Amino acid sequence: MNVRFWHRFAALFRRDKVDPDLSAEFSSHFDLAIEENVRAGMSLQEARRQALLRFGGVQQAKELVREQRSLPVLESLLQDLRFGARLLRKSPAFTAVSVLTLALGIGATTAIFSVVYGVLLRPLPYRNPQQIVRLWEQSATGGRMNFADPNFDDVRAQNHSLSALASFWSYDTTITGHGDALRTPTASVSRDFFQVMAIQPIFGRTFAPEEQRVNAPPAALVSYSYWIQALGSTRDLSSVHLKMDKQPLSIIGVLPPGFHFPDNSDIWVPSEVNAETPSRSAHNDQLIGRLRDGFTVDHARADLDTIALRLKQQYGSDTSMVAVAIEPLHRAMTNDVRPALLILLGASAFLLLIACANVTNLMLAQTAAREKELAVRAALGAQRARLVRQFLTEALLLSFIGGGFGVLFAYWGLHGLLALAPKSLPRLEDIAINLPVLLFSLVAVFAVSIALALFTALRSTSHDSRDALSEDGRGGIGTRSKHRLGRLLAAAQLAAALVLLVGATLLGRSLLRVLSVDSGFRTDNIATMQLGFPFDAPKAERVAFLSQLLDRLRQIPGVQQVGGTNNLPLSDAGFADGDFVPMNPSQITPRMKDLIQRSLSGNLEKDPALAAAFTSFFDELFRDKSRLHDADFIVASSGFFNVLNIPLLQGRLFDERDTIDAPHVAVISQSLARQVWPNQSPIGRSIEFGNMDGDPRLLTIVGVVGDVRDHSLESLPFPTVYVDYRQRPQVAWNFTVVMQTTGNPESVFAAARGVLHDLDPNLPPRFSTLSQFYSASLSARRFSLTLVSIFSITALVLALAGIYGVISYSVAQRTREIGLRMALGATTREVLGMIFKQSALTGGLGIAVGLLGTFAVTRWLQSQLFEVSPTDPLTLAVVSALLILVSLAACWIPARRATRIDPVIALRCE
Amino acid sequence: MESKLDLLQGTLDLMVLQTLSTIGPLHGYGIARRIEQVSGNEVLLNQGTIYASLVRLQQRGWISAEWGVSDNNRKAKFYSITKRGKKQLTEDAAYWQRLSMVMSRVLSMNEE
Repeated sequence: MNVRFWHRFAALFRRDKVDPDLSAEFSSHFDLAIEENVRAGMSLQEARRQALLRFGGVQQAKELVREQRSLPVLESLLQDLRFGARLLRKSPAFTAVSVLTLALGIGATTAIFSVVYGVLLRPLPYRNPQQIVRLWEQSATGGRMNFADPNFDDVRAQNHSLSALASFWSYDTTITGHGDALRTPTASVSRDFFQVMAIQPIFGRTFAPEEQRVNAPPAALVSYSYWIQALGSTRDLSSVHLKMDKQPLSIIGVLPPGFHFPDNSDIWVPSEVNAETPSRSAHNDQLIGRLRDGFTVDHARADLDTIALRLKQQYGSDTSMVAVAIEPLHRAMTNDVRPALLILLGASAFLLLIACANVTNLMLAQTAAREKELAVRAALGAQRARLVRQFLTEALLLSFIGGGFGVLFAYWGLHGLLALAPKSLPRLEDIAINLPVLLFSLVAVFAVSIALALFTALRSTSHDSRDALSEDGRGGIGTRSKHRLGRLLAAAQLAAALVLLVGATLLGRSLLRVLSVDSGFRTDNIATMQLGFPFDAPKAERVAFLSQLLDRLRQIPGVQQVGGTNNLPLSDAGFADGDFVPMNPSQITPRMKDLIQRSLSGNLEKDPALAAAFTSFFDELFRDKSRLHDADFIVASSGFFNVLNIPLLQGRLFDERDTIDAPHVAVISQSLARQVWPNQSPIGRSIEFGNMDGDPRLLTIVGVVGDVRDHSLESLPFPTVYVDYRQRPQVAWNFTVVMQTTGNPESVFAAARGVLHDLDPNLPPRFSTLSQFYSASLSARRFSLTLVSIFSITALVLALAGIYGVISYSVAQRTREIGLRMALGATTREVLGMIFKQSALTGGLGIAVGLLGTFAVTRWLQSQLFEVSPTDPLTLAVVSALLILVSLAACWIPARRATRIDPVIALRCE
Repeated sequence: MESKLDLLQGTLDLMVLQTLSTIGPLHGYGIARRIEQVSGNEVLLNQGTIYASLVRLQQRGWISAEWGVSDNNRKAKFYSITKRGKKQLTEDAAYWQRLSMVMSRVLSMNEE
């Protein structure tokens, strides 16, 4: 059977050659037959007749041979395809418009799907990625927090559901020793981290126990790309001499290509080199774990919740954890962007639906022209199924060609999309037009073809063929229902376009609202220079360096003012916050002052008695949770407030009095002042906030400044305590200098770089401007808005084209009727009214359905809006009015054409 | 006319093979005439149906075809049996012999 199959398959394509051969053979057969008959005594006429009789039906014989020769099913399919292709060639305008429309729809959907797939669906590139989970401490109020070291240790020891559990933290370090000093993304990871990720170095080794303890000599693993680019792919790792934050670093191994978890890290160091923080409420650890085989997230949650409860019973108020929150890593990474991406996918689907509706209308119009042909075929016995198949192949052809162009559009469009996408989009590097995406487009193409074919075929073959064949073929009942379908489709398109436009408008208004938010600080003409210091540089050194740096930078021509902070507003640095205790003067006992003094001059690590006294005093101080207040802890210079134009509302900023040995001062934000000291002046009050940087000296409040929206423009300002860098430099290992410039901030970059280089050539700066940070914080919003706007404008154009087409077509079909009316005395106004009434019904229906749709759909949009209601009446009214106006405009031309119909010509022609 | 036996595809193929094996290369008309004659006009054959059979046999590789000239100088397509065809013929013929023996025994069973 196989042999025959290939012959038959090949014969499909050799059709032309084989048929004449067969005809020749048949005619030779007849010649021989006639000859024999004549020899047997018949007349020529009789001989021929007998030969024909004995042969049987010639056509039937040919059919039989053909059936044997090739695959009948494929043959008729090829025939349909050829026929369809010819049809498309004959009407190039229809084909071009349909293909373009489908290309737009399929292209948009494919592009968005490639983003959705890369970010949300594609499995993470680790072994059994669904087993990797993130964990958080969960408080009584349900909030998630990072783990505290002792809780981490206990959970790790006591759990049954995880095969490995580790902590990780990412930050930048300065690497020197190979070319220029470079800030390098680094990760500090605990013992079992590589077990959790199921990653082994491709050569070298992982950390040895003696490298995983406090004060061990720094050892590191590097990423594959770092090894290639910065280390020159050397096989001899001992020959590499690097320094991390001025400490010699030994590289012990290279990790496999493509591994950069977390946060694009290139270097991994053991976290055990830092001492553990014994407090169970110091939430420092980000945890990641791997489920044991056979365990689910729910199993693990039950297991870990038990441990949390046990710890709570054991340690009471020392720990704030009552449960453990656990989520698969992939979900945790993408939670923030998932709603926006799904909305975009929905918007693109709408666009595709509109495109399909448009093409369906076009196809319907086309088939109307072929009505007679179809009726004849039906009369000749063509089954409805065969005709449907014909439509299906035409639709398939259109969809495949449209889809092909669509994928091309998507490929080009994706480049633009990725350039526009916010840099914070997770898994940006995993987005591409790859096989699963192409498969999706294929499915879309098939779905579109089936939809197109079904609609068109069912409509076209449903009516009685007699109507079509009769003289008065036009204006029959069948065509009227086709009109209705066409108008319904146009209304549906309008509805979808309305939804998209409302969505775009709401997003746009949200963006405008965000832009008009008072951030509390100035953003233009401010240059920023981000620096990174080693964690534990001596305090005096850092203060001296920074003071000198700020002084020299102030001298640069073009620089008006200079300041600095460890937490630049709207940068993506994390903010450190914690609880502080506002002190009553009566609480500041001599004993307290004495303890503070002794802990500063003594050594807490070496003097256990002092340590014990110290700890118990401060535990007592922080015990009463009702007295504690939460605030951000930010290190800044006085110039910082000036440069950013943060207003001083009471008291004073830091000045030359505030040296390290003078009483420590703080400046607080207005919302904090109102919250903690509602009807009094906070100036002169003291607070204890030493838990943030280890310095127990009380902070006296000397000033109140305006609130700043530094976390995000969209969230309310966070209560903040600012301390002077000269008094509390310890936690300012990341320090950003801000410089107010007279002109373009970028003009001072070179000079600033020079100043820095003079002071320390091994400190790599990162330059930017504050307005760039401002802009970047809006990039996610802008991205969504841009895409939805593009979709909605395209949808509007398509919907208008749809209306124009439908009304035009209807006018053309009703030419005779209109001519008749005009001949009978209808005025131009009445004709226009007739046409507009029809359009108004269509438009009205579309807008009504669209408004219903927005009520249903914009609920999901809620999460993306800012200070705008999803059913904002003004927006709905304006967009509806716009659509009405524009639809009327689209109807204008066909309506005018209707009035210009010459009744004589109309009545005469068919 | 008495009713003639309808032929199944496979049996017609077998007859064509047998004809070509006995007579040698022959054109389509000749094969059809020969089958009619040999079967004593028992066989119902629209001569045109022979061509479907010939195509089938060609696709299976049991016969080959070539344009040639007949005795009376007419152009015709001549078919000849191949080696594989001969082998197939032997197998099929043996099968038919056995089948007809069994069938005749079964059909002549007397009622017990």
